Amino acid sequence: MSDSEKVIQEFTSGEYKEGFVTDVEQEFVPKGLNEDIIRTISRLKEEPDWLLEFRLDAFRKWQAMEMPRWPHLDLPEIDFQDIIYYAAPKKDKDRPKEIDPKLAETFEKLGIPLKERDVLAGVVAVDAVFDSVSVTTTFRKTLAEKGIIFCSFSEAVKEHPDLVRKYLATVVPSGDNYFAALNSAVFSDGSFCYIPKGVRCPMDLSSYFRINAKGTGQFERTLIVADEGSFVSYMEGCTAPMRDEQQICKGDGAHLSWTQVETGSAITWKYPSTILKGDNTASEFYSVAVTNNFQQADTGTKMVHLGRNTKSRIVSKGISAGRSQNSYRGLVRMGAGAKNARNYSQCDSLLIGSRCGAHTFPVIRSDNPTAIVEHEATTSKISEDQLFYCNQRGIGPEEAVGLIVNGYAREVLSRLPMEFAVEAQKLLQVSLEGSVG
Amino acid sequence: MGYGNYRDPFVGRRPDHVVGAGEKLELMFVVLPGESRDIDVAIDLVGEGAEVSLKGLYLCGGEERVNFRILMHHRAGGCVSHQLFNGIAGGSSRVTFDGRIIVAPDAQQTEAYQENHNIVLSEGAHVETTPQLEIYADDVKCSHGATTGRLDEDALFYMRTRGVPEAEAKVLQMISFLAAVTPEDRKEEVEKAVNQIV
Repeated sequence: MSDSEKVIQEFTSGEYKEGFVTDVEQEFVPKGLNEDIIRTISRLKEEPDWLLEFRLDAFRKWQAMEMPRWPHLDLPEIDFQDIIYYAAPKKDKDRPKEIDPKLAETFEKLGIPLKERDVLAGVVAVDAVFDSVSVTTTFRKTLAEKGIIFCSFSEAVKEHPDLVRKYLATVVPSGDNYFAALNSAVFSDGSFCYIPKGVRCPMDLSSYFRINAKGTGQFERTLIVADEGSFVSYMEGCTAPMRDEQQICKGDGAHLSWTQVETGSAITWKYPSTILKGDNTASEFYSVAVTNNFQQADTGTKMVHLGRNTKSRIVSKGISAGRSQNSYRGLVRMGAGAKNARNYSQCDSLLIGSRCGAHTFPVIRSDNPTAIVEHEATTSKISEDQLFYCNQRGIGPEEAVGLIVNGYAREVLSRLPMEFAVEAQKLLQVSLEGSVG
Repeated sequence: MGYGNYRDPFVGRRPDHVVGAGEKLELMFVVLPGESRDIDVAIDLVGEGAEVSLKGLYLCGGEERVNFRILMHHRAGGCVSHQLFNGIAGGSSRVTFDGRIIVAPDAQQTEAYQENHNIVLSEGAHVETTPQLEIYADDVKCSHGATTGRLDEDALFYMRTRGVPEAEAKVLQMISFLAAVTPEDRKEEVEKAVNQIV
C-alpha cells in the first residue's frame, strides 16, 4: 500500500469524535408511541389545547401511512415503539436562571459560542437546543428591538400563539409525508423565527442541535416566517442523529439564505424546503455534507417557485469517505405562475477512498415557458497530482487532504460568519481525521 | 399518500444493449411533432474500453407525450459514455427525461457524461427532468447537466435589429439549439418540423 493510500485509509477509518455523551440527569417519558404519550408530552410542555389537537390529528394521519422506500439508504427497520419521544435535562433548582455547567461544557466541547461574552461582538444569535429543551437564546434583546422574534418553539407557542397558529404546517402540511406526520405528532422543540415586514435581520441566525440522551429521537421543528421585503440568513448545524422538519414561509420580496454543515448522524435524511410564494422572493441553500465510515446521508432541498420573478440557488457539496454513501436529492418546481423565475443548482461530490459512494438525484419540473432552471453536478476524487504537489511543497499528506477538502467546500464555508467557518473547518477535520484530533 | 409503493424503475432493469471490451455503440433518437413516444433504453458497459454515445432530439408542438428513460450502467472500468438530449416542448405537450448513470464498485477510470437541455415554448407545456448519478467508485469523471428555459431574448433581439423577422429568428435559434443532436441525413426534416411548430 502506498503512503497516500495509507493516509487515506487512516483518515477514513477514524472514529466519530463528536460521539461523547454528557452525564446530566434527564426527565423521560416512557418508551413507545401512542395517544397517551402525545398527551403527556403536550402536558409536560404546558401546551394549549389547539396544539394538542394538532398533534393528535397528525398522529392519526401517521398511523395510516407507510414508511417511504425511495431514499438511497440502507435502513434497518425502525421500531417506533422502541424510541423515547421526550427527554429534558432536569433543572437544578438552586440556579434556575443559569445554564447547567455540564450543558455549557458540552456546547463548549463542540465549540458553540453559547455565552454572549464569548462571541465575537454581535455576529450570531444562537438558539441552542439540548435534547428537547432550548437551553438559551442569545441576543434575543437585540433582535427584539427590530421586532424580530427568535426563540424556541415552545416559548413561541406560549408568547406568540397567534403567529404560530397562523403559520404552523402551512408549508409542510402535517399529512405531507410519513415523517412530517410523525414530527407533527411528537415534535419536542425547535426554533421559531419571525421577521417583520421590510426588516433586514441584522445578524445571522443559527440553531445547533445535539442529541444527548441515548435512545431518544430529537424531533425538531423549525418555523421561519419572513414577511414582505425582509431578509434573513439561517444556519443549522447538527452532530447527532435527527429527524427534523423545517418550514419556511415567505411574503413578497423576502430573501432567505440557508446554510448547513452536516457531519453528524449515522443516517441523515433531511430536506429543508422553501416555497417561494410571494413575488420577487429569493432563496439560497448552501450545504456541505460529510460522511465517513458507514454513515449514510440522503439530503437536499426543495424549491417550489409559485410567485413571479422568484429566484433560488442551490449549492451542495458532498464529501464521502470510508464506506459511506452520500446522496443529494432535490426538487425544483416552477409553477405555472412562476413568470421569469430562475434557479441554479450545483451539486458536487468528492470521493475519498474507493469504497464510498456519491449519488445525485435531482428532479426539475417546469410548467412555465419563461422560467429558467439550470442544474449541474460533478463527481471527482482527490487526485494523486494534488497530493503530490502538496507533499512536494512540504505539506504532509494528512494536512494536504484537509487543505483540499476545505478548498473544495470553500464556496459554502465562506457563507458562514467567521467563528462558524472556523468551527465548520474543525468539524470537517474531526469527521475526516483518524489519528490527528 | 405515503411512498410505500414506490418502486425504483431502474432496479432490476435488464439491459437492451451489452457493450463489451473495445466495442462502440452509437444510438440516435429523433421524435418529431405529432409523435408520442416512450423511449426506454438500458445499456451495460461490461468490458474495458467500451464506448457509448447517445443522442436524442424531440420536438413537440401539440399534445404529445414523450418519455425518455435511459439507464447507463458502467459495470467495468475504463469505459466512456456520452449522452446528449435536447428538445423543445410547445403546445400542451408533456415531456419527461429520466436518466441514470450507475458506476459499479471497482469500475475505475470511468468517464460518464449526461446532458439534457429543454426549451419550453408555451404556457401549457410541461417538462420534467431527472438526471441521476449513482457512483460507487472513486477514480471517475462523471458529470451531468440539465437546463430548462426559453429562447434567448437577447439573441432574438439582435437578429431583429439585423432585419431578421421574429418568426425566422426563432426558427434559426431553435435549429441551432437542436443542431448538436440532429443526424446529418435528417437535417431538412428537422428544419421543416421547426418551421411547422413556430
